[in-house]
Amino acid sequence: MKKVLTLFFCCFWSLLLPAQVDLADLFNDSIVSEQALPVLATFKSPRVINAQSVETVHKHDLVFLVLHRFGDLAGGNGGAETFFGLDNSSDIQIGFDYGLTDSWSIGLGRVKGAPNGVNTFQRQLFYLNSKYRLLRQTTDERFPLSIALFGNSVLSGMKKMDLSTSDANFQESGDRWSFVAQLILARKFSPDFSLEILPTYIHRNLVTYMEQNDLFALGIALRMKVSRRMAVVVDYFHNFRSQESEDYFKQEKSFRFYNPLGVGLEIETGGHVFNMSFTNSTAILENQFIPSTSSSWGKGEFRWGFSISRTFSLDKSRRDAGY
Amino acid sequence: MYGLGTVLLKTKKGGLLMKLLLLFCLAFLSSGVAPAQILKSTDVKLSFFSEAPIEDIYAVSNQGLSALNLQSGVVYFNVSIRSFEFEKKLMQEHFNENYLESEKFPYAEFKGKFGENIDPDFSGSQAVTVRGELTIHGVTKSYLVKGKINSADGKLVATADFPVALADHRVKIPRILIKNIAEVVKVTVSATYDTTAGVAGESTASP
Repeated sequence: MKKVLTLFFCCFWSLLLPAQVDLADLFNDSIVSEQALPVLATFKSPRVINAQSVETVHKHDLVFLVLHRFGDLAGGNGGAETFFGLDNSSDIQIGFDYGLTDSWSIGLGRVKGAPNGVNTFQRQLFYLNSKYRLLRQTTDERFPLSIALFGNSVLSGMKKMDLSTSDANFQESGDRWSFVAQLILARKFSPDFSLEILPTYIHRNLVTYMEQNDLFALGIALRMKVSRRMAVVVDYFHNFRSQESEDYFKQEKSFRFYNPLGVGLEIETGGHVFNMSFTNSTAILENQFIPSTSSSWGKGEFRWGFSISRTFSLDKSRRDAGY
Repeated sequence: MYGLGTVLLKTKKGGLLMKLLLLFCLAFLSSGVAPAQILKSTDVKLSFFSEAPIEDIYAVSNQGLSALNLQSGVVYFNVSIRSFEFEKKLMQEHFNENYLESEKFPYAEFKGKFGENIDPDFSGSQAVTVRGELTIHGVTKSYLVKGKINSADGKLVATADFPVALADHRVKIPRILIKNIAEVVKVTVSATYDTTAGVAGESTASP
């Protein structure tokens, strides 16, 4: 009798088991396959501080942006007399970025220009740039990097300068142009840490005597979250200037080049990212801040910079779809 | 160990009780061959609506997953946080990055049980209640949700809406945006199950 009962319960339990299957297990396959998504927000805006980030503007978004660099915080031109640089503006950019697609954005605008009067004199700059995302890092690590290409063409609108050795002594209209081509390789290592490197090529049609028409530089930028809404951002460019050129400016003009280093704090409020940054470079555009930074962090020649941006969503199709 | 047959032969005197037991065994065996009726659906639409003084925010995902065990009344939902679409892409990015932290918590999940029996063969509308656990942003809370099941043409459509307080799931709103984002959002869910394709869990092909 006991044996029969045991048997009975054996049957009973073995039959009950299939009914115990967790319904969640039914979707194991489909949930795993969804993991191959592009990584979001490697950086929080198209610009880190001085460097371009790998991010582009979303499709049909129009971004109005104002970037500002104040005067030297300390050093000879800073201190209390200039209210720690806030009385001066070394460079200002006003422009628009527009997302043609989710991976291609273009920008145009006007920049004051920050000539240092030794190796660069150009002011009144107009620019037209383009950034294209070639590849995106995926959450399943099938592709470990995000890659973007950035190009900028800049035109100086200033009056010809009557100084034959300067880069503003324009002989023909082509002399007013300079260009930047940049490859951006980025990786989000964790939700809290992103890094990118930026091999950069700058070509300027007209340069000051002993300056280089072609210049290579290597940039690095990183973003590190320190709290849920705050992140530290840093970017730096190393110039590969020829020793000859560097020596000439040092000996003949007692002029030293410095590599631009920006350090900032990003505060996210959900709708906006406020950027509080400090940099030794005075200029905003790559064409100027990479080859022509002559101010040094060590001498207190760094400044406060900020950017304001406002995004307008112009995507009608999404709105009509009821989102 | 004796086989079932030998046991039965040897215990002839057991009589009626044995026959009943045998009957039970057979009944269970046959019910095991015809598996528990589990309905699976990839036709699940989820949305949420936030109503605040400055702006209303609406997001929708059509990529929800659901399964329903008609015998036990157990129901399951799963949706990828990344699949929610917003009117503003930037808002969608912030939603993933700052609020729901979808890299750490990629899914929202609901495991529940119906308070009523559901007859797959009925036709019409039936009010139901579901009690269960909802996990959003890695935080699990108990919910009692009132919904409706409509049955027609071999299809079961389950619909419900219920409020979710963001604070319950540790989703924090910065004070500066308190006028942009509601503290309690309305979640709407609608799942369509094909009753004619009801199959057992193991043999179900992935969508």
